[in-house]
Amino acid sequence: MEILKKWFKAGYDGIFEGTSKNMRIALYVLIVLSILFGIFAIQILFWGLGYTDMDNNFAWGAWIIGDLGLVALGGGAFTTGYLLYIFRVDKLRPIINSTVLIGFMCYLFTFVFLLFDLGQPLRAWFGFAYPNWGQGVYPVSMLTEVFFCLSLYFCILVVELIPTVLEHKVLIKNKYVAMVAHYMHLLMWTMAAGGTFLSFFHQGSLGGGMWGVLYAKTVWYAPHFFFMAVVAAMAGGTSFMTLVPYIAGKIMKKEVVPMETYQILTRISGFIFIFYFIFRSYDIYAAVYKYAPMGGREFIDMWGGYYGIWMLVLEMLLFAGPLIFLNIKKYREQEKFMVIGASCGVGAIVVSKLSVLLHGFSAPNFPWKGFTAYGPTFQEWIITFGVFALMILIYMAFVKWFPLFPHLEHNEHDAHH
Amino acid sequence: MKEKVKEVKMKRRWGMAIDLDKCTGCGKCSVACNQENNMPIFEDDSDVPKRVAFLELMKVTNDRDAKFPDVKTAYLPKMCQMCEGNDPKNPNPPCVSVCPAVATDVGDDGVVSQIWSRCIGCRYCQTACPYEARVFNWWKPEYEGSFKKSLSTDVSVASRGTVVKCTFCSHIWKRERDAATAKGILDINAVLYTPACAGTCPTGAIVFGDLNDHDSEVYKLTQTDRAVRLTNPVDDVKDADKKKSLLKAKQFTNPKVYYLTSQQWLRDMMRFKKNS
Repeated sequence: MEILKKWFKAGYDGIFEGTSKNMRIALYVLIVLSILFGIFAIQILFWGLGYTDMDNNFAWGAWIIGDLGLVALGGGAFTTGYLLYIFRVDKLRPIINSTVLIGFMCYLFTFVFLLFDLGQPLRAWFGFAYPNWGQGVYPVSMLTEVFFCLSLYFCILVVELIPTVLEHKVLIKNKYVAMVAHYMHLLMWTMAAGGTFLSFFHQGSLGGGMWGVLYAKTVWYAPHFFFMAVVAAMAGGTSFMTLVPYIAGKIMKKEVVPMETYQILTRISGFIFIFYFIFRSYDIYAAVYKYAPMGGREFIDMWGGYYGIWMLVLEMLLFAGPLIFLNIKKYREQEKFMVIGASCGVGAIVVSKLSVLLHGFSAPNFPWKGFTAYGPTFQEWIITFGVFALMILIYMAFVKWFPLFPHLEHNEHDAHH
Repeated sequence: MKEKVKEVKMKRRWGMAIDLDKCTGCGKCSVACNQENNMPIFEDDSDVPKRVAFLELMKVTNDRDAKFPDVKTAYLPKMCQMCEGNDPKNPNPPCVSVCPAVATDVGDDGVVSQIWSRCIGCRYCQTACPYEARVFNWWKPEYEGSFKKSLSTDVSVASRGTVVKCTFCSHIWKRERDAATAKGILDINAVLYTPACAGTCPTGAIVFGDLNDHDSEVYKLTQTDRAVRLTNPVDDVKDADKKKSLLKAKQFTNPKVYYLTSQQWLRDMMRFKKNS
């Protein structure tokens, strides 16, 4: 008992020592959310999905939105990795550790969400054991592709994250560890290339292709959806990768990543957003004039309801942020506008995913039925926010104990001398 | 003997014709289906969107706010429509290709099957189905009172967290075939069967049979002008060239369940044309 008390005290001190009052409150909230997540996770996993607001019409809910959002925003990891390791944009190096960590967490918790969404979580391995692959090279089911690509890319992210862990100030003193970390850095471009290859597939499938292939559902059917999701992930992901370390830096009141790096990444993000905007505009045009009539429906009739036009309008408004503030140099160079631009970009991606899901399920399949609404239950909210809380906690832990921001370490090192 | 069995080719392509003008909405088909397919019976089954039932009896009204005498009502028994996609020889129902674990497949008799015990419960097939024909076991199936004693031994009871669906009572056909085999008849096409819903309909509104057999009643019914398929817009395209190009551009569900009605408003409703 004494030992436990001692450990608890040591752990408590380790976490809370030297934190401000606000930080302490934030930590308490996050920890409470994480504990609640654990409790309700047991309820959902053991007693089933009856406790959610999902039903036979609204087959998927909050967690799939979480998946779509996390994977799309985690897409910044492969884009940044590719730019750094293949295109040799060396100025991105200060941000890469943070980027890899965010990517890693986004994918890790995508798995968590997916597992919750399975009615039979213990049969999750069926996806690998009995894949719906068909005759060709390419899998038949988009979800099979998600299973395989996501797992492989997650492995790559783990490998990419290992050097950051090995460079911990205690571990790195061991010369073998140092050697391994060094060579892993040198060989990281292979991982970046592999990651990009895999990301193209699963970004396309989970983000868009999964919905685009549903030929019988007029609300979703769009063969180009697969490719649009890849562009969306590159555009929104890079914005997200800028935003997270920026916020961390603001809280820590330190320059964790040089402004120059943010500038490059947001510039790239803004540039890709132009393509995404054009693609999305075409997508809406095709939905109105091509796919809705083909399915015997009218677009305007289909896009009413609780999550219809207003979400589309909101998305278009949010698009203005990255398109204007991230592409015009005058604005981008002002920190305030850069942050607004990146936030709007992330917002546009999140709203588009919300709209795909909520509206898609809400639209009636039969003319004598109305639009349906979905209100997540307490369990669903807690699990969703619990996941976000856990992500923030893990990020904070890495900031505290691992060399997540090499730029910061350099500066402190210089200051000491 | 083995050789002989191999030689026999499947000739059947099961389909259904439901006469909506004959349907009184009594719900006997739904009850029979629940009984035959071991549907769970909860003490409180008031949460309709989470209810587990293969056959849903839908009430169709021309306008929710319409008053007598403008109000028109019909009942539409809706089960799995057994879609086959554009090419009947190479069927591609919207739900089959999406399953990540091959828990659902379409047989050479055209029936879209589902193996409960293979299903991982991802509900992607439910998302893909435009007819809301697939249901998920949100809760652990329960059988109130003595219902457990009346469970059918031909249909496995699904566990919680799996998707289940109508299979045109395929197990009845298998039972009939087994009986025929016992008598030494090895031809797979030798016997016909009737699913529970068709067998129990008091007005004979549901006709079931082989769509490949052009002498069958069901085939003849599907060829009449009264036949209409649920939300399958390609059926309305009369121009052959246009239809061909449309089928080339996109897959359509092309269900094997036909509805029969002479009421224009109902036909329009089934095509998303409201207020006609």
